[in-house]
Amino acid sequence: MQYKSQAVAKPYFIAAIGLFTGQILFGLIMGLQYVVGDFLFPEIPFNVARMVHTNLLIVWLLFGFMGSAYYLVPEESETELFSPKLAQVLFWIFLLAGAATVLGYLLVPYATLARMTGNNILATMGREFLEQPLPTKVGIVIVALAFLFNITMTVLKGRKTSITLVLLIGLWGLAVFFLFSFYNPSNLVLDKYFWWWVVHLWVEGVWELILGALLAFVLIKVTGVDREVIEKWLYVIIAMSLITGLIGTGHHYYWIGTPESWLWFGSVFSALEPIPFFMMTVFAFNMVNRRRREHPNKAATLWALGTGVMSFLGAGVWGFLHTLAPVNYYTHGTQITAAHGHMAFYGAYVMVVITMISYAMPVLRGRAANSERAQVLEMWSFWIMTVSIVFITLFLTAAGILQVWLQRISATPMGFMATQDQISLFYWLREISGVFFLVGLVLYIASFFIKGGKTVSA
Amino acid sequence: MSATFTKSMARNIFYGGAVFFFLLFVGLTFDTMQVLPKRDHRENITPEVVRGKHIWETRDCIGCHTLLGEGAYFAPELGNVYKRRGPEFIKAWIKAQPTGAPGRRQMPQFHLTDAQLNDLVAFLKWTSEINTNNWPPNIEG
Amino acid sequence: MAAPAVGFFLPATQAIMNASTLDKDVNSAMPPGDFAIWIFIYAELLAFGIFFLAYAFTRAHNVELFNASQLSLNRESGAINTLVLITSSYFVVRALAAIKRGRQVFCVRWLAAAIAMGGLFVAIKLAEFHAKFSAGISLHTNTFYMFYLSLTIFHFMHVLLGMLILGFVLFKAHRGHYSAEQHAGVETGASYWHMVDLVWIILFPLVYVIR
Repeated sequence: MQYKSQAVAKPYFIAAIGLFTGQILFGLIMGLQYVVGDFLFPEIPFNVARMVHTNLLIVWLLFGFMGSAYYLVPEESETELFSPKLAQVLFWIFLLAGAATVLGYLLVPYATLARMTGNNILATMGREFLEQPLPTKVGIVIVALAFLFNITMTVLKGRKTSITLVLLIGLWGLAVFFLFSFYNPSNLVLDKYFWWWVVHLWVEGVWELILGALLAFVLIKVTGVDREVIEKWLYVIIAMSLITGLIGTGHHYYWIGTPESWLWFGSVFSALEPIPFFMMTVFAFNMVNRRRREHPNKAATLWALGTGVMSFLGAGVWGFLHTLAPVNYYTHGTQITAAHGHMAFYGAYVMVVITMISYAMPVLRGRAANSERAQVLEMWSFWIMTVSIVFITLFLTAAGILQVWLQRISATPMGFMATQDQISLFYWLREISGVFFLVGLVLYIASFFIKGGKTVSA
Repeated sequence: MSATFTKSMARNIFYGGAVFFFLLFVGLTFDTMQVLPKRDHRENITPEVVRGKHIWETRDCIGCHTLLGEGAYFAPELGNVYKRRGPEFIKAWIKAQPTGAPGRRQMPQFHLTDAQLNDLVAFLKWTSEINTNNWPPNIEG
Repeated sequence: MAAPAVGFFLPATQAIMNASTLDKDVNSAMPPGDFAIWIFIYAELLAFGIFFLAYAFTRAHNVELFNASQLSLNRESGAINTLVLITSSYFVVRALAAIKRGRQVFCVRWLAAAIAMGGLFVAIKLAEFHAKFSAGISLHTNTFYMFYLSLTIFHFMHVLLGMLILGFVLFKAHRGHYSAEQHAGVETGASYWHMVDLVWIILFPLVYVIR
């Protein structure tokens, strides 16, 4: 560890992994409810499990991003963090607010929660992924601003690199676009239109800048390739992300009341969206192939390469599968969307955060890399989780294709629930894959506790 | 013929491309806002519809259902449920939950009053009249 | 679509493979100017290419509507604009030739002339848009006008961006940043401008002429 204040990243990473585990457990509950409908009803209805599942995902990724920034920025800026104290305080605020929100979901009926938390003053709740009560949303903004202040001040007083610049733009964009979550007009079409300014402009916009910056940082560290080379490709890749992704928002504006012209804009630009992901894959492999040093942390390199491949498959290929308007007309709002969502989130954001953790955690614990045994276990967990998500995606895709056929294309279309019964086999297979994913995650956590073997000192 | 590839040029393209396409996106948004009233029939958004949307949100309906294809994929599409089932069926259905049928997916009981049920139906009726470019492909949603 | 895709991936892959040699500035297989602009150019050509294909495909299914609406377009202003852009491209070529011989003053003048031609294009185009908008035509009038307006406005914005880039190059040329040996910046700007020109040369016959 080059700078003492980087240590504040550690609790963030630990919290991220903890919440990740919670996310997977609730995912398994939902997966089972797909086939055993009354499982845990009425204690945990499906919608509650889903809120917890998706909100935990968002919160733990934010923990991951913040931890990564606290680790990365001092090292890139070659100076101590502006205020390590602030970072520690924010950690507890964010963790407690997150925990309180999840407990609220689980213990209080949603309508009561809404009434208790001032949703009647400013109604923002009850929209997908933005279910958080008003105080939580305000809390997210406050924590994000304080965090950005801390990070920005650090960058300003130290060396300014392309990586920190891109990271900062991404993080500021994240905060700015979240503000649209407070806009909830009673006109559903407008509501949906600007809801995507949070959701799409996050995951297919500014988050990609964060992803690119984190990946570039780890690649510089593990490959030793010249910073100039890596940074210029970083710029080119994120430029392509925004060039295709901004108007690419149009692929959400096909069927929600927005004009027909979006069918064309959305199709043309989102057809190009796989390009930056493809470039990222080629980029990651090339940098590793041209490495100038053999970094002892093989696991981190594996995660970095995995991020390139899986984000291309999940976001690029599975996104392209159903992004063209004539295809999307049939697949919109089916299990195809779920398939894409799972692989894209895992491949792009879960993996890049784990890449950062995998690289930084050993250093934070006083060594350049973990022991060989710990790394072998971590690589096993990589393969088990990654293969599991591939199978989850494949089974959901199969379920989706069948669903589209039975419910939307067939000459005698079936009702929704009748169709669901027909495809339950695939839901069972998905649930089994989910259990394997959990096994992978447990192994991943176990790899942190493996000692022995030869360790490499920092 | 000089062949170069500089970081500063890559950076310019990032900034230039991002600004260019964001402006384009804002322009398209502006254009969309001009024509939306003809497609969403906002003149029909009555106080009942507004209250109905609020009930829709505070019961987290989106946590199981889709609305115009967005939401969870656990329960039926409701953007066109007004046309598929009609107002009376919708109200009776919500009142009858949960079915309690063993092993079947369950919908919670929300204890809505008749006035609230009417509001919710008004919201679903208005939603079913949005011009969605003929989506969904058929009445089953 | 295959051709632009290959056009994109081949040089892109090659560039990645050769990135180390690229840094040393020697690779005769590479296009002129900064390679970064070419990635942008390939992406733009791909976007326009897909849009053109979509146009052709949709036209084939709505021949009568397209034919009828096309009649309302001002072909004369389109033809004049084609000549204007080709002329401006020629001026840019002269500017590049000038700086290659070290004639900085001439480079600046030719660039200014090219930008002026770009301005003329913009003026003619604005008059055309004005006529269409006052006739109540918008993106939502019918499918043909959706394509006509999207394509021409999208291209129009590229002309503005191209003028901005040329203006920047002109500014740097004026400041003496370029020479007979070192003029990658001029080549970069010229490459972008030629792309803008090329797109119009395809767009004009496709949308205005071919019936």
